[in-house]
Amino acid sequence: MLVPMTKVHVIGHRRRLHPTLEALHLLSAVQLIDVTDDSSITLPPLTADDEQVQEIEELRYLRARLDALLALSSDPPPADTAPVDLALIRSDLETTAPEIESLARSLEERQLEISTLPRHVQSLKRLLPLVPELTELESYDTDAVILDARHASVLGDLSVALDEVLEGNFEIISDQVDTDTVGAVIVTPKKSASEVLAILGRQQVNRVRLPHEYESVPFRKAITLMERRLADLPVEMATIEDKITAVMRSRGAWVTARSDVTQRLGQLSAIRHLGATPQTFVLSGWVPAPRLEEVRRVVASVGQGEVIVELAPIGDDEEPPILLQNREAVRPFEALVSLLSMPRYGSLDPTTLTMVFLPLFFGMMLGDIAYGILLLALALYLRHRFRVTSPSAAEFLKILVLGAGWTIVWGVLYGEFLGDLGRRWFGLEPIWINREEAIEPLLIFALAVGIAHITLGLVLGIWTAAHRHDRKKLSTSVGTLLALIGLFGITGVAVGQLPDGWMTPAVATIVVGTVLMIALEGPMGLITGPLELLGLVGNVLSYLRIAAIGIASVYLARVANELGSLGPLWFGIIVAALFHALNLALGVFSPSVQALRLHYVEFFGKFYEGGGTAFVPFGSLDRKE
Amino acid sequence: MEIGLLAVGAGLAIGLAALATGYAQARIGSAGIGALAEKPELTGRVILLLAIPETLVILGFAVAAMIILLLGG
Repeated sequence: MLVPMTKVHVIGHRRRLHPTLEALHLLSAVQLIDVTDDSSITLPPLTADDEQVQEIEELRYLRARLDALLALSSDPPPADTAPVDLALIRSDLETTAPEIESLARSLEERQLEISTLPRHVQSLKRLLPLVPELTELESYDTDAVILDARHASVLGDLSVALDEVLEGNFEIISDQVDTDTVGAVIVTPKKSASEVLAILGRQQVNRVRLPHEYESVPFRKAITLMERRLADLPVEMATIEDKITAVMRSRGAWVTARSDVTQRLGQLSAIRHLGATPQTFVLSGWVPAPRLEEVRRVVASVGQGEVIVELAPIGDDEEPPILLQNREAVRPFEALVSLLSMPRYGSLDPTTLTMVFLPLFFGMMLGDIAYGILLLALALYLRHRFRVTSPSAAEFLKILVLGAGWTIVWGVLYGEFLGDLGRRWFGLEPIWINREEAIEPLLIFALAVGIAHITLGLVLGIWTAAHRHDRKKLSTSVGTLLALIGLFGITGVAVGQLPDGWMTPAVATIVVGTVLMIALEGPMGLITGPLELLGLVGNVLSYLRIAAIGIASVYLARVANELGSLGPLWFGIIVAALFHALNLALGVFSPSVQALRLHYVEFFGKFYEGGGTAFVPFGSLDRKE
Repeated sequence: MEIGLLAVGAGLAIGLAALATGYAQARIGSAGIGALAEKPELTGRVILLLAIPETLVILGFAVAAMIILLLGG
């Protein structure tokens, strides 16, 4: 059900502005309308004064600061319940923040080290076989170079260049370290370090750069040092993290302060949406009709006679926001409806109808006792598991529970238990039809379901159009319904279920229906009318998928059973289980998508008016944590 | 012989329709995912568009079923 909305103007003295905003923010029952969008208010928008601008800036800074600090701790403290004094929080931040930040910085440095050191160790280890013992001498520099194998010729140029400067007093040892890379170690006297660096730069060769503290240490020793460091790092990091947590533990007030600041900023952000005179303010907003009294009461108590709530007329160009309110069992389906788009204000909320038909169609397609029981067990188990961690997922699983229920019911009607296994093992007989053989009745049944569902959609379309006094839509919907009845008649005569004499009235009904579809559309109707008629036929035939997917699922189950009965028993069980699992996975996915599609395209297409915007009350986005 | 031809005809009816649906869905799907990357709120609309060409294969199925049930039986 769509909750009816009222438009209100809250008008009061400016000295009551802040208490009023605070109360409305806490109430979360009003969606603000920007005063410039409300044609019934001709006042200029209220601008924040210098003091408020300064407050906003300070609060934003404080929130950013708190956010950054609280994000540093992996285990934020629980919020304090006692009210907090922001001035105290500010001074606490001044003294404590530098300490936490420096801890966080040293933690970050160690994280960087722990992620880069293994790379250095790895590249040094690859080069180690190339390093001659002599380079361990203190008076020599060792530069390591790792090159792409394709550019190995650079080493020759490098050798020539070094020779010119160092006159042979150097050594380059290179080798393939793996298929794509060539490693080289260049040993040069320490005293020529700057010249060597210049030559390497000119040749555009990148040295393997080690962290500063390992640069002047011989390779083997560097590796040992780095490995020792890597072993020490986790302990150091844990110690620092413990220190941060210890400081944070007593800072529950920060969490409370952040929530308070967010709320206050939310209240202040409303100011620019209001209208004002020098003495008064006007707030324009949408309130769900059932909560209007509550809003009046709250405003009266904080306004002390200086603020009133007035009902305002809804302008022609204004579209109230949408708040869906359904019973608990229906609520999970709201998400499916709004997945398409929110219904328009004043139109029908199809959530309840979706709850009735969607699981029903799902069950019709899957229809197998065993699959139904498995799905039911799975859905109930997952619901139990997600109940605490993710209530929205648990809510969503209710849809699967309903679908599984209908699957069992239709499984009984079709007499299916893991396909034809029930029949083979314990002589399970269908109550209604056997889908494997009675394909024709199944197809006719699917079409009948389609006609019924679409007729319901058209009747709802007629109701909506009449309600909105939309003559064009009314004439199209009535015309389509007549055409559908006519088509039904013609088909009945064609398959011999209706007497031949019904042919003429049936054709006449189609003609009248088509004329109605065309009538109010103008010249374009000549093209769109017949197209609509064709679309209608397509819509009805589309319900054949209920039969088609069902048959596919039955045959796949049968294939599983046939294959299972081939080899030895243990092999058969494994193969059959695999195939049934595959069929079940397909059997959950495909019917859900198809049932959803039948709703979105065929059913909703006949009456649904989307394009509404969701109701977002002032204060709902920054609720107290 | 005749039954064989009917079976081939039914197979072609649904097979070609399935190819056409696949072709249409491939193009809609890739465009749809592109749109979703920018506007996730369009999910419902994309599913709807993606589902529309499925009518083709259902019509193919209807024709195949008619060939087998009406002519074959």
